[in-house]
Parts: sequence; C-alpha cells; structure tokens
Amino acid sequence: MLATTTDATGAVPSFAWSTFAPELVLSATVMVLLLLLVANRFRAAVATLCGAITVVVGVLLALPVNGADGDVFLGAVVIALGVAFVGLPVGLGGVPRLIGPWVAGAGTLAALALTGWQITAVLVDEIGATVPVLTAGGSVAFDGIAVMTRLTVLVSTLLVILFSHGYLRERNIARGEFEPLVLLSATGMMLLGAANDAITLFVALEILSISLYILAGLARRDRRSQEAAIKYFVMGAVASAILLYGLALAYVATGTLDLGEMALRLSLAGTNIGVAGLALALVTVGIGFKIAMAPFQLWTPDVYQGAPTNVTAFMAAGTKAAGFAIVLRLYLLAFQPLDDLWLPIITVLAAATMLYGALGAVVQVDLKRILAYSSIAHAGYALIGVVAGGDQGVSATTWYLLTYAVSTLAAFGVVIAAERKRRGEVTLSTLRGLGRSQPVLAWALTIALLSLAGIPPTAGFAGKLEVFRAGVASGFEWLVVIGVLSSVIAAFFYLRIIGAMFLEEPETDEAPLVPDDLNIGISLAAAAIVFLGIQPQLVLDIATRTAQFAQ
Amino acid sequence: MEDLLERLLSPSWAMLTLLLPLLGAALIGFIGEDEKSSRTIAMVTSVLAFLSAVMLSVQFDVSEPSIQLVQSLTWIPAIGATFSIGVDGISLVLVLLTTLITPLVLWSSWDVTDRPRGYLAAFLALETTVLGVFLATDLLAFYVFFEASLVPMYIIIGIWGGANRRYAAVKFFLYTLLGGLLMLVAILSLYNLTAQGGAGSFSYAAMLNLDIPLETQRWLFAAFFLAFAVKVPIFPVHTWLPDAHTEAPTGGSVFLAAILLKMGTFGLLRYALPLFPDATVEFAPWVLGLAVIGVLYGAIVALMQSDIKKLIAYSSVSHMGFVVLGTFALNEVAVSAAVVQMVNHGLSTGALFLLIGFLYERRHTRQIEDFGGLAKSVPVMAGLWLLVSMSSLALPGLNGFVGEFPILLGTYQAANWAGILAAFGAVLAALYLLWAYQRMFHGPITDDANRDTPDLTRREIAVLTPLLVLIVAIGVYPAPLFDTVEPSVQRVLTEAGFAEVTAAADDSVAPVGAPGDAPDGAPSTADTTTSGE
Repeated sequence: MLATTTDATGAVPSFAWSTFAPELVLSATVMVLLLLLVANRFRAAVATLCGAITVVVGVLLALPVNGADGDVFLGAVVIALGVAFVGLPVGLGGVPRLIGPWVAGAGTLAALALTGWQITAVLVDEIGATVPVLTAGGSVAFDGIAVMTRLTVLVSTLLVILFSHGYLRERNIARGEFEPLVLLSATGMMLLGAANDAITLFVALEILSISLYILAGLARRDRRSQEAAIKYFVMGAVASAILLYGLALAYVATGTLDLGEMALRLSLAGTNIGVAGLALALVTVGIGFKIAMAPFQLWTPDVYQGAPTNVTAFMAAGTKAAGFAIVLRLYLLAFQPLDDLWLPIITVLAAATMLYGALGAVVQVDLKRILAYSSIAHAGYALIGVVAGGDQGVSATTWYLLTYAVSTLAAFGVVIAAERKRRGEVTLSTLRGLGRSQPVLAWALTIALLSLAGIPPTAGFAGKLEVFRAGVASGFEWLVVIGVLSSVIAAFFYLRIIGAMFLEEPETDEAPLVPDDLNIGISLAAAAIVFLGIQPQLVLDIATRTAQFAQ
Repeated sequence: MEDLLERLLSPSWAMLTLLLPLLGAALIGFIGEDEKSSRTIAMVTSVLAFLSAVMLSVQFDVSEPSIQLVQSLTWIPAIGATFSIGVDGISLVLVLLTTLITPLVLWSSWDVTDRPRGYLAAFLALETTVLGVFLATDLLAFYVFFEASLVPMYIIIGIWGGANRRYAAVKFFLYTLLGGLLMLVAILSLYNLTAQGGAGSFSYAAMLNLDIPLETQRWLFAAFFLAFAVKVPIFPVHTWLPDAHTEAPTGGSVFLAAILLKMGTFGLLRYALPLFPDATVEFAPWVLGLAVIGVLYGAIVALMQSDIKKLIAYSSVSHMGFVVLGTFALNEVAVSAAVVQMVNHGLSTGALFLLIGFLYERRHTRQIEDFGGLAKSVPVMAGLWLLVSMSSLALPGLNGFVGEFPILLGTYQAANWAGILAAFGAVLAALYLLWAYQRMFHGPITDDANRDTPDLTRREIAVLTPLLVLIVAIGVYPAPLFDTVEPSVQRVLTEAGFAEVTAAADDSVAPVGAPGDAPDGAPSTADTTTSGE
C-alpha cells in the first residue's frame, strides 16, 4: 500500500496522500496497538515514542512545506491523535486493559474526523463542486462510494469498540488482539470501498476477511464460535478463490485490471463475451457470498449466531457496506457494458434475497438468527439500488448501507446487553418484559427494530425511501413491490420482538448489568437512527453529491 | 433577524397545533416524574393544542377554497421534499375534531393505572401524527405521518388492550403497513412523473399539475385506494377493525373510531380523487358497490353481535360506508355531506365508545345479555346513551341526519341503485342500535349487579358534554359546518374536473354558489399552486 506508483504516462508520480488519510491513521493505530501489546512493561516508553512521531507528522502537515500550504485541521487531528497515543496509555497506567479500547477509539475518531475533512475539503474544488479523482496510478478511487463506505465503516467500528470491552471481559475472551484486528479489518473495508483495480480489490477483501475469520473464532472455548469461524473461513476462502478466478478471467477477456478500463474494453466490439460472461458469473458467486445474497446466503445465520455478538455486529454493518461498495463498482462500472447479462439475474436474486430473508426470520426465536436473516433481507433491499443503477442508484445504495449499519448496530448492542444478563443466547423469551425491567434498553431496541422495518421517522425509512425511489425511477416497480411485501413480512417478526418486550411480563426482576460504554454506544446508535430519520439531508446530500464514479 | 422576529410575533397556529402534543409527549418522557404531573402536562398541552386549533380556524378564511396558511420549511432538499403544512376547509374541521377529542380521551382515562405516563405520551404522539396527516401538503411528509401513526396506536392497543390485544395490535399494524407501503410506491411513481426534465418534487401542488395517462392512473389509484380503504375501512379489508376496536382500551377505541378512520376518507378525498380523476370515474361504480356492501354487511353483522363493543365496531364499518358512498358519488351535495358525516361519526361513535368504556369499568363485561333494566339504576347514562344512539342512527334534529340524508340524496342522483340500497343500511342502523339499547337498559332486572350499578360521575358527564352539545348543535344548525367544508369540496371536485357533472344534476339542496362555475374554479387551482410553494 505504501508503494508509490506512477501514472500511465510514467512521468509524474500521482499519489495523493490526502485521499488515504483515514486508512493511514487506522494503520498507524494498528501498529501502535500491536507495539503496546508487545511492549508490556515498557508501554509508557513505546507510547511516548509513537506519540512523539505522530505529533511530529502532525506538525509537518500543519506547516507549509515545499511551497504547498499546510492544512491546519489535518495537522491538528494528527497532533491530537499523537497526544492520545501518549496520554491514554500513560494516563491509564493503572488499568492497562483499558488501553486497547481507548487507543483504538482515538484512532477511529481521528479517522472519522479525517473522513469529514475529506468530504468538506478534499473532495470539492474551489467553487464547491465535487471532483472524484483516481489516484495511485488509477488503482484507488476517491469518490462518493469510497467516502460513504469510510463513513459507514468508521461509525460501525466506533460503536463496536464501545460495545466490546465489557462484553469481552465478561465472556472471558478479552484479548489484546481484538482491537488491532477490528481496526485492520476496518482498514480493509475502507480500502475495498476505494479499490479501483482487481488487485487492490482482492488484497483489501483479504485484509478484511482474514481479520474477521479470526474474530469470529475469538471465543475459543465456545463450540458455536468455533463452528462459526470454521464455517466462515472455509466458505469465505472458497468464495475468495472463486472471485479471484473470476477476476483473472476478466483480465483474460479484457487485458486490464483497471475496473474503468475494463468497462471500456468490454464495450468494444470483438471482446470475448463468453469469457467475460464466465468471469461475471464467478465474480457474482464470490461477491454474493460476501454480501449474503441469495442463493449464497446459507452461511449467514450460523456464523452470525456463533460468532461473539460484537463481532457479528461488526460483520453485519461493516462487511455489508464494504461488500456493496465493490458490488457497485464491479457491476455499475467494470461490467456495466454487460448489463444485459447481469441485470435480469441480479434483479431476480434481489427479489429472492429479500423474500428469503424475511420469510426465514419468521420462524426464528434466537435474536442473533433473526438479525442474521434480517441482514439477508436488507442485502436484497440494497440490491434494488444496484439494479436501479445510475448516480441515483449509487447514492441510494451507499446511503441505505449507512442507515442499515446504525440500525443493526443498535439492535446488536441491545442483544449484547441482554446476553450479558443471561450469559447465553438471547431468545424472544429472554427479552420478555424488558420494557418493564430495562425501559431504556427496550426503547433503544424498539427504535432499532422500527428502523429495520422501515417505519418513519427512522433512518431505516429514509434508507428504504431512497432505494425505492431509485428503483421506481428506473422502472423496477415490481421489484419495489416485492420489497414492500417482504417489508410487511419482516415487520411481523420485528413486532414479535417488540411485543415480547412490552406486551409480556418479565420472568424475573433481575436487571442486566449494562456498563457505561455499552450504554453510550447504544444511545449513540439510537440517537443516530432518529436523527438520520428526521433530518436525512446532511448525509444524504453527501451521498447524492458524490454519487458519480471516479474515472 | 427581522424575519425571525416577525415569525415569532405571528405564530403559525397550524404548526403550533401540530407540535404541541408532541412537545407534551416529550415533556412527559423527560420531566413527567409521576402520574400527577404527567397528567397535568398532557391535559395542558392537549387543551392548548385545541385552543391553537381554534385560533387557526379564526385565522382561516372560510370563503377561500384553496389550501391556506401554508407554511413550508426546508426538509430534504436533496430529494425535493419540504416540510409544508396548510389547511383547507376539510382538514380544518378534522383538525378541530382531533384536538377536541384528544383532551376528552385523556380525561376519560384518568384511572388507567398501568404505566399511565406511557399511555398519555402515546396518545399525544398519536395526536401529532394524525394532525400531520390532515395538515401536510407535501406527500412525503404526509406519508411519514401516515405511517408513523401506526406505532403509537400499536402500542396503545398492545399494552393497554384486552385479552386478545397482541393479535389485534399486530393485525392492525400489518394491514395498514401493507396498504401504506404500496401507497409509498405510488407516491414515488408520482414523484418520478414530476421529475420529468428536472428535479422531482413531493409537493401536493406539483403532483396536482401532472397530466397522468389513464393506464398509469389506474395503478396509482389502486395503490392509494388500497391504503385508504384499509384505514376507512372499506369491505373487504375491514377485518382488522372489529378486532382492534374490541381489544383497544376505551381511549384507544374512541380515538380509533373518531379520528383514525377519518384518515382514510380524508386521504381518498384529498389525494385519490383529485390526483387520479379519470381512474376515479372509472372505478367509482365499483367503489360505490363496495361501499354499499360495507353499509349493509356492517349493519347486518352488527345486528347479530352479542358484545356491545363489537356491535359498535361493525356499526362503524356501516357508517364509514356511507362516508365512502358520499365521497364517490362525486357531486358536491354528497361529498360535502360526507365530510360533515366524518365529523358526525367521530362525535357520535366517539361518545358511544366512551359510554361503553364507562359501563365496562363498572361491570367488567360487554355482553349485552349480562345487562337488562339498567335504566332504573343508571338513568343519566341511559338517557345519554339513547341520545347518542339516536344521533348515530340519524334521527332528524340530531347531527347524524344532516350528514346521512344529503349523502343518500347525492348518491341517488349519481347512482340511484346505490342510494336505494344504502337507505336500507340506515333502517338497519335504527334496528341494531335501538334493539341493543332496549336489551341493555329496559326490561326486568335479571342480574343483581345491574341493580347496584352506579350512575355516571360528574367527571364522566363533563367528558361527554362537549360531544353531546355538538351532536345537538350540528343537528339543529349545521350551516357553519357546511359553509366551512363546501368551498374546499368544490375545489377538490373542480380540480378533478367533476364539477361539471354536478352542475348538470344540481338542485336546490346545494346552498352555496354554483358548483362547476369555471371562473370560480380556475383561479382556485392556481391559488393552490402558488400557496403550496
């Protein structure tokens, strides 16, 4: 990733660091975390060193160098991060187990700030128009998909870090690797959102997947966690291999790895459509697995149920966003000329995915399984945005994934809280009477479920509105009607959960222990759901303004 | 700054009416520490909302047919949605009805002891969503309010309802959600049509200006009609109503009957008719047929009920059938009367459900056979019950008559078969209501519990009084109500191009103006367009 490439002319190296800022910060944080982990007794010294280096970088960024203007904001964020690197480990010397979450949180916050900076300062030119660009010799795109994916992934990471600390300790699976792995996976996800050639795409996908395979098996002594990890790994590895084969065939057919270039060559006469079609089919299989599209969704319930719940939350929110980023780029950019071929298939699969997810969840009683099926259904809704295509489809999909991420994270946050009370699986009967014993948790879950069901005024409604709008605008009314039907079916099982919480009496009066960090995380997610639902303009505007691909 | 000052000095009563109940709900959530302070907050905010609605009606210019006092706030410019509200005569009377019923409902449920704060907050939130439906002039805002109303009502039925409450609550939610979501698809299609050659808009005025081909109109009309038909409810999608009514707590039943059902008929009149006039004309005979079936079916099934609450629930199906009948008669007489009948049904059925609630609190049964001879022990209740029943069965001199009679008249003009058949519904109404009254309040006392049933308390009488006063007042002097709704009804019919139909069949019953008068109609459409922006 650090290798400097030159662009096609071979003369000017084009490597806009500013387009990578969040990934760089996260990678740096991963390094710091790992160093702190091995440093043990010399923690303070290592932290000081890392912090000092970061501060120096920040100062350099802020000052004008080589005639280029320094960016005060950028410098300030990096300096603050450096101070956090020093301050947190030293200040928390008494409680070393808190270092991981704090440093990881600081790094994620810094990355989030830099994403905001990218949106407001880098992505726009002097007159305020949005200018998507390609960088690193065309292998990395800096456009709306990249930026929105970063936003979704970073928000998810932040919330997952807040959810995790107490939960991991309580399940006795707290290990120092957790935060570095989450951040590494997040880096992979963000990079996947920006990948504009087949190699970057694959490398990013592997970074994110391998970290997740390990995370899924974090609870080593729990059989279901083992099962989840193995299942996820085996299926994921096969899917990756198929995807890689597909990309290789695409190279055979077009002679290029660059996704934009691929589209150009595919549209030329004389392309071997047979090979290209095969490539498309294999890519669809590989990517279908990652985003849990029917009929490649079968692993989802088991893996979601078995993996530690905080990891499941991260998978559901983050992987989906990153997976769909690459779906958008592959189908709407690289294979766009073949849309006669994939459009009917993906349309039917979208309908199947929505209905499968909704119908599958109806008979479930385990909350994690219900949310797994709901994640399948939501992949179907996001696919409506993909088949709709165009700028509107792109912005609808990225926006939908953000709204889905906050909704599902809030839901999983409450599952984590309820799980801690029971030290076991969370079923409908576990939640019985939660409205009386834990009204705040119950309301947070209610908001999350209403949002997943798409009832206004929640984020989920704003998300569905956009994908439905894109679908109707491109003439896929029937697909939208299927989406409507599956929404009604889905509402049934979401209501069952709400009913269990409010309409039934609690079995016992014991209240679950909810630590502050988890509480803050859940409240933040619930507040985000309501805010994005009532006032979607802020983020939706970013999504719509940046919708076009970097070419 | 000056602008802000100006806005502060001249409050938008519509916005205030809309937001006050929500404010009340939020206050109860955050600072209502105990029952007593929560009750105070709920009563104060709901009464203030009513006063604000009264101020709104003072500000309202009755002679002006278009949507008035429009206030438009930036909401989601990225997709062309604004948060804009306004009133016409039709929505004004419904807003007044809503804000009047809510404090009464809250007051009537003083003795809800299970989680009273949540109960009050849910009703206030519900009030805001319903007001939003009546006031919104942007279809996205309208849809948001329309769907959002499901949640508080689900909670009210689900938490405070009867034995079978979960089933009833879920059924209510899913039925309405399905209709609503299909309407969302239709709204998005309309939006898509407005987006031809530029940015789309969700504004009602923009959608009215569309010229939609008949084939498209049919589909969109079907989607809108289904959403509203479930809400009204129109036969055969009415089956959620008896369950919801029976299982809901008293306050919930009153609110449901008096106000929520009106969202459906209001929606038909505001959206389905003027947006899809050609499809409306095409489907009108079918809708009239369904309405007539609803009128007769509801009445016959009501006749056979042994549970008094269920009886009134089915009578709602029958009475709302009359409203649909009037609406789709598509002439001014019938449509105006349909709007008036919405208010009347709200008053009389609301009062009946209140009385049933009061009786249920005393006896904990709703079986008609458990009562008998009650008039001796509860003379005041018996008298009021009789009065309200008379209103419901459209006795001349009470409010039901001034709505039902012109509906039948107008329907007869439009489609005589429908008018004749529906008239039997009015006869049956007298039968089931009076028979039930007779069985409950007259005859010998067979059960000792009926001998000792206490009569209405002062609070209960006070809760009923505003409704009773209006029942009599509208019956004796309906002119102000008609004057308020008629210009707007005319506008709707003109926009849809039905006014000419009326002009041909005009007779002396229509008191105001000459419907279909072109110079009168044309500028009103233009006004709507400008004020909607």
